[in-house]
Amino acid sequence: MTVDSEPQLSDPSDGGPHSTPLLELRKVSKHFGGVRALHEVDLTVHPGEVVALVGDNGAGKSTLVKLVSGVERPDTGEIRVRGQHARLDSPRAAAEAGIRTIFQDLSLCDNLDAVQNLFLGQERHGPVWSGRRVRRHVMEEQARRVLESLSVKLRSLNTPVVALSGGQRQGIAICRALISDPAVVILDEPTAALGVSQRGEVLDLIGRLREQGRGVVVISHDMRDVRQIADRVVVLRLGTRVAEYRRGGYTPSELVSAMTGAHEPSDD
Amino acid sequence: MLVVLAIIWAVFYSQSPAYLSFQNLTNLTLQIVTTAILALGVVFVLLVGEIDLSSAVLSGVCAAVAAGLTVNSGLPLPVGIAAAVAAGMAVMFVQAQAVMFGVPSLIVTLGGMVILQGLILVVLPPEFTISVAGTPFATIASAAIPAGTSYALAAVATLAFVAYRLFQYRERLSTGSLASLTTIIVPSALVAAVLFGGVFTLTRQRGLPMPVLIVAVMLLIAWYVTTQTRYGIHLYAVGGDREAAQRAGIPVRRMVLYSFLVLGACAAVAGMVDASRQLGVSVTSGSGPLMLNAIAAAVVGGTSLFGGRGSIWSALLGALVIGSISNGVQLLGLSTEVQYFATGSVLIIAVAVDVVLTRGALLPGRR
Ligand SMILES: Nc1ncnc2c1ncn2[C@@H]1O[C@H](COP(=O)(O)OP(=O)(O)OP(=O)(O)O)[C@@H](O)[C@H]1O
Ligand SMILES: [Mg+2]
Repeated sequence: MTVDSEPQLSDPSDGGPHSTPLLELRKVSKHFGGVRALHEVDLTVHPGEVVALVGDNGAGKSTLVKLVSGVERPDTGEIRVRGQHARLDSPRAAAEAGIRTIFQDLSLCDNLDAVQNLFLGQERHGPVWSGRRVRRHVMEEQARRVLESLSVKLRSLNTPVVALSGGQRQGIAICRALISDPAVVILDEPTAALGVSQRGEVLDLIGRLREQGRGVVVISHDMRDVRQIADRVVVLRLGTRVAEYRRGGYTPSELVSAMTGAHEPSDD
Repeated sequence: MLVVLAIIWAVFYSQSPAYLSFQNLTNLTLQIVTTAILALGVVFVLLVGEIDLSSAVLSGVCAAVAAGLTVNSGLPLPVGIAAAVAAGMAVMFVQAQAVMFGVPSLIVTLGGMVILQGLILVVLPPEFTISVAGTPFATIASAAIPAGTSYALAAVATLAFVAYRLFQYRERLSTGSLASLTTIIVPSALVAAVLFGGVFTLTRQRGLPMPVLIVAVMLLIAWYVTTQTRYGIHLYAVGGDREAAQRAGIPVRRMVLYSFLVLGACAAVAGMVDASRQLGVSVTSGSGPLMLNAIAAAVVGGTSLFGGRGSIWSALLGALVIGSISNGVQLLGLSTEVQYFATGSVLIIAVAVDVVLTRGALLPGRR
């Protein structure tokens, strides 16, 4: 469907499946007052593909996430979801378009348990005459399935999540995004606060999202993470996209120099 | 806190066996009713991470409205009750607007308290008191449910509880969740013991006092709403992490408003029950230690001042602890200082426990 897209400036031979991109940004710009946070940035995400978004501090990564998660609106440019023009005016609109974002702080309620957090804001409940009684058994069953699909292991579904490890909390945050079965999952710095083994756990989770055929965008400062999981790496610097690499098509030092602008790689 | 209650009872019982007599236990229950109802509303506000100082005085204003309409203007009792509840909710609605505008609730309700102290002078007739003795209004507190009916009510409530638990058990089985029959039997036995024990104790004199039934029904509704419904989850979510709740699409401001409205309604009921027991409303209705006792009750019962933690039972439990101390002190004829010292100490210890549970340590920076 919708083959109206002109040849893209970027990724002429994308290694991913030959399908309509799940998510596509075209010449998207965003200014905050006088600050140019993003300038004519292009980005595509295909099903079953992990795209890493890297860049120095202030490069515009979080701004880009805010645009596709409906928190901010682009000044110019277009966002397309499954080939269709999309207006992501609110987090809810983004979620309905099939885009779910896991923010760096995870946004979990520490005093609630895993099931309550997984379904927060989208509880399964009974009719109004029952006072919207929560159908806990349905939620628990679905929670168990989602957690299992990503091999997130919890000792109990009933303990407040404050008692869980960083990896488990990250797991719950990702599973929460999956409750509504989104096409695109965006993770902002998912491994930043984690130890070695928990970091591995989360990278495995991301791998499983790819196996499920979802499009994944990962923001990371950690070059090891990027090397390990990304099918494609998009480099931002000062709000513009300065380079893009396919898996194995770059060396760590190339990546770093693209990020910092040490010697310009044929762009910008 | 049940342990604390047991210790308090044991200490006073060892000093005076009359402390645990049926008569004194009934007195104690009636003494704590007002505090418990107000504390119940305070719990809702504490759970969303706000505080209220105005509801005790508001309870006096609402009682004045109800008594004025029914006794002085001769309107039917239900009209007076409805007007009082509406007034309580309206006042809280206004205060909640200021809170949602960004003024700290401590300040809003402190100012509100002072304003309401002025308002009660306006609502009361020129002689500043309304006597309700001998009017239908007085029957709110003086009515009693005959022992037989009370036992029947206890039986129905127990059966309803068992049926609800069975229903949940079957729900869980239907989705292959873990379910065990002990989750029915043990709580049911406990509920039955408390209900029948309570009815047995409280019907010794002239049947189950109406205020007790009012508290019981309010607690039951509050329990269902806070633990079984979507509203309940959102209530705790807002208290736990507002930012996260907001991002999850929960209408945070509306949840805060709801809590204040619940408190407004509770304050109205507390005020009317109290006025009915005291046989009148005056300038001092709702003043004195009522406000602090209600907050202390909620906190002593285990509801956090920082929001998101606690349960509606803390209102009852805390009111019992505080009521038990003052009742015992009066029974033993001790001086009032002792009562203040003991109540204050229990409050401080309870808050210290709360801080430790929330922050991990009393002093920040230590782990
Ligand atoms: N709400 C805002 N108001 C004003 N300026 C903003 C705002 N958000 C971002 N900016 C600016 O836009 C630029 C890009 O910021 P952004 O947060 O997207 O960078 P980043 O790549 O996420 O950096 P970091 O690695 O530090 O998280 C920065 O110069 C920042 O100061
Ligand atoms: Mg950022």
